[in-house]
Amino acid sequence: MMAQAMLNQVYETEIYAEPAALKNNALIVNGLSKQFGSERVLDDISFSIAEGESLVLLGPSGSGKSTTLRLIAGLETPDGGDIFLHGRHIEHLRARERNIGVIFQNYALFPRMTVADNIAFGLKIRGVKRKTRDAKVEELLAMIGMTEHRDKYPSQISGGQQQRVAIARALAYKPELLLFDESFSALDPQTRTGLRREIRLLLQKLKIPAMFITHDQEEAMELGDQIAILNKGRLEQIGTPREVYDNPQTEFAATFLGAANVVEVCRNDGVELLDCRQCEALPTNDWQSPERVKIIFRPEDVVLSAATSLPEAEKHLGHGIVVDVNFTGALEVVRVKLLSLNQFGYLNSANCQNFDQPCDLIIKVLRTKWDAQRMPLNPKDKVGVWLRDHKMLENKL
Amino acid sequence: MNVTAHNRTYSGRPNDPVRPFGIGFVVLAMMPLVILPLASIFYYGFNKGPIHFWEAVKAPAAIYSLQLSLMTSSVATVCNVVFGIIAAYVMYKYRFKGSSALMIVISLPTAIPTAVAGVALLLVWGRSGLFGSLLEYTDYQVMFTTAAIILANIFVTFPLAFGVIKPALDNLDPSFESAAETMGATRWQTFLYVVLPSLRGAIITGALLTFARCIGEFGSTIMVSGNKAKTMTAPLYIYAKFNEAEVEAATAIAAVLAVISFIVFSLILFTRNRLEK
Repeated sequence: MMAQAMLNQVYETEIYAEPAALKNNALIVNGLSKQFGSERVLDDISFSIAEGESLVLLGPSGSGKSTTLRLIAGLETPDGGDIFLHGRHIEHLRARERNIGVIFQNYALFPRMTVADNIAFGLKIRGVKRKTRDAKVEELLAMIGMTEHRDKYPSQISGGQQQRVAIARALAYKPELLLFDESFSALDPQTRTGLRREIRLLLQKLKIPAMFITHDQEEAMELGDQIAILNKGRLEQIGTPREVYDNPQTEFAATFLGAANVVEVCRNDGVELLDCRQCEALPTNDWQSPERVKIIFRPEDVVLSAATSLPEAEKHLGHGIVVDVNFTGALEVVRVKLLSLNQFGYLNSANCQNFDQPCDLIIKVLRTKWDAQRMPLNPKDKVGVWLRDHKMLENKL
Repeated sequence: MNVTAHNRTYSGRPNDPVRPFGIGFVVLAMMPLVILPLASIFYYGFNKGPIHFWEAVKAPAAIYSLQLSLMTSSVATVCNVVFGIIAAYVMYKYRFKGSSALMIVISLPTAIPTAVAGVALLLVWGRSGLFGSLLEYTDYQVMFTTAAIILANIFVTFPLAFGVIKPALDNLDPSFESAAETMGATRWQTFLYVVLPSLRGAIITGALLTFARCIGEFGSTIMVSGNKAKTMTAPLYIYAKFNEAEVEAATAIAAVLAVISFIVFSLILFTRNRLEK
């Protein structure tokens, strides 16, 4: 119903208004749904990619990101929803009629064709004359720096080179959109970082809109102008990497893009109480109908201080006991077990001391090496825990 | 790949006393069973000198029988390879009710004794058979002609090419086809430029296997040839000459057939190693 309403809206706007949205967006996906048997793999997904920009679909395996890519490429048929490519309604078209370039996970270079023949394939299919074709292939080979490998077969070149060829092969026929299907997962970390940077620059230069799919958050941050987080076939959040990281809308978004601590608290009358046990365990009569909310904070947003010195105005998690300390190079990872039923942000209230007992809640803290040097910590040390920044998820329990 | 596999072969512990006996047994057992019979074909074929051998091979009936064998085998091979490619692709691409039953039916002809295959063909294409009786109205007759021999060859070698091509297709990464499709290729172009070249090795191996089996086919051809000079293939010629006690003539053609088989067999080994990666 919702999807239908949105669809009508899109139709109307397309026909009568020709809004900026349809003109400035290279790709619009609206209410896309797909079911395999009784399993709903995609549920009403909507997003758009602006002209010349890139979007990363980030999600764990089984989140529906591959299905989304296959639906856009035309390799699967959607059960519902619309796909517009440069204002053109494409979801009823065959894959070959869509003019989209796909870089597959294993690159899918044709094994019996040379590098040059692979790149020329799309042009050959389109009946481009040999001379024009050869010139274009040479140009692309030069662009990816593989001119001397033109007559090699895919099995004779490295994974990174195969990926370049796959990109050149897709670029040859001037696609309106490039789709990358986990295209970096098979490469070793150094090649991967180098290629990611190259591709980013290349896309910016050619101004071709692109969609990447990945489960790697680092890759998502580096490649995406926008990141869309997908979970169990639903879109959790979409935004620039900074927006999603700084302002996650769901617990999943917070924990999948970057590390995050999630702590459940009870709230009443604007006062929050850290809840390690149950809300029902709250002792005083002042807490008539406590509401459960979750607070989310990044490990780097936590500040540890000597147990006795807690600045009054800040948001506190009260006291904690250091569980372990791990040196990881630039940063130190400290795990801290919180002491129970501290009043969140109101340390000096009368209730606090009474409930200062260990609970099962362990949070992760990142400290720079400077902080670590200034206040070295050892397991079993008692520390004060407070937050520079946090985010409260309302009504999302 | 083969070289490394060979290097890794277990060669036994050093000075294993069983070793010479093991190898000796294999060679000895093969002597009366395989090696001596093969060698004697060439021995008897050249018994009276190369000139006699050449005369025997050059006899018009002998030449005709060899030509007929090569021709019918080639036609049957082309038919079965084309069918094998199409059938393998259909079975690879589509899953349908009874697809596994169809797989069994396709593979069945190799399991059927060749004489039975001959009789079965006679029952359908013979004068009172289903197609044979229809052909009665025309001047055309299938049984006891070259066409009958081709039909017999097709029947007997029906699943061979399919049996080699189907597994090769199953090993083909489906993303090749998807990639071709997103690049704008039609189904036919994808098949022609992407699928078919990947099957090159399997197609050649399948063709050679089919051909090798056809060229020596006896049981079914003797049933459908009608014992006529016009339909006498090389194996039938050998049989006829033996019956006429012309051993030299028989062994000469037998030697030629053996050589053809050796060549085909070496080609199969070669394509297996080289073309199938």
